[in-house]
Amino acid sequence: MTRIDYVSCINTMYQSQGFPSYRWSAFDSSPWTPFEKPLDQARIALISSAGVSRKDQEPFNPWAVNDLSIRQIPFDTPFEHLKLHHNYFDHRDALRDLNCVFPTKRLTGLAAAGFIGSLAPTAIALGMGRLYKRTALQQETVPEIVKVLKEQQADAAFLVAA
Amino acid sequence: MDRIKAPRSVFINFPLGHQCGKPNDPQLQDQILMDTLSHLTGAARAGDILDLPYEWPEPFDWACYLNDVKAMVEAEGQLIQNWKPKG
Repeated sequence: MTRIDYVSCINTMYQSQGFPSYRWSAFDSSPWTPFEKPLDQARIALISSAGVSRKDQEPFNPWAVNDLSIRQIPFDTPFEHLKLHHNYFDHRDALRDLNCVFPTKRLTGLAAAGFIGSLAPTAIALGMGRLYKRTALQQETVPEIVKVLKEQQADAAFLVAA
Repeated sequence: MDRIKAPRSVFINFPLGHQCGKPNDPQLQDQILMDTLSHLTGAARAGDILDLPYEWPEPFDWACYLNDVKAMVEAEGQLIQNWKPKG
């Protein structure tokens, strides 16, 4: 099946409505650190941009613009204690099974089976889309996330770009 | 993904909201996660994007995406957001 070129489609849609062109992030190179630890000894952290939060946390605004906040969610939080607020994708299947975009239960099973060594105890949710404050994202939100990852001694981050 | 050049990425040609699989399909979800995690050690060079082989059973395109979001918002009793350019 042909891939959807979301960037081109979004550009066309919004420019036809009179919005200025959006400057999509683009990089010339990719950072690289060889990953030499066996996967079954590695600690994996989960980051998801699906707008998931705990019921005792402030929810994401499903129509947010420039929401740079994150939520830290203990990995063992039951799905019935979580909520999802994100209107930039059809989230109905994710509400039926959060593993579609926030796969804590599946990753827990893979760790129990020995496929991965362990899981960072806190998952991170963020990223509501419509982020225009790229510098703030890089200079404020990302260091906050990195701090959490380092505190949890994560070897790698599994990012679900929802 | 080509623009962002994350160190290691996988691409799955599923509709948005299904990046880790279909609901209540643990076998497929596990397979997607294992394929992705294996790319952590299997990627040969910076920026490698691995295409996962899974196919979505129904056709979907940009119009489907827009219609699905609209249907979702209406089914949940929310209001469609109509942003306007400034000025």
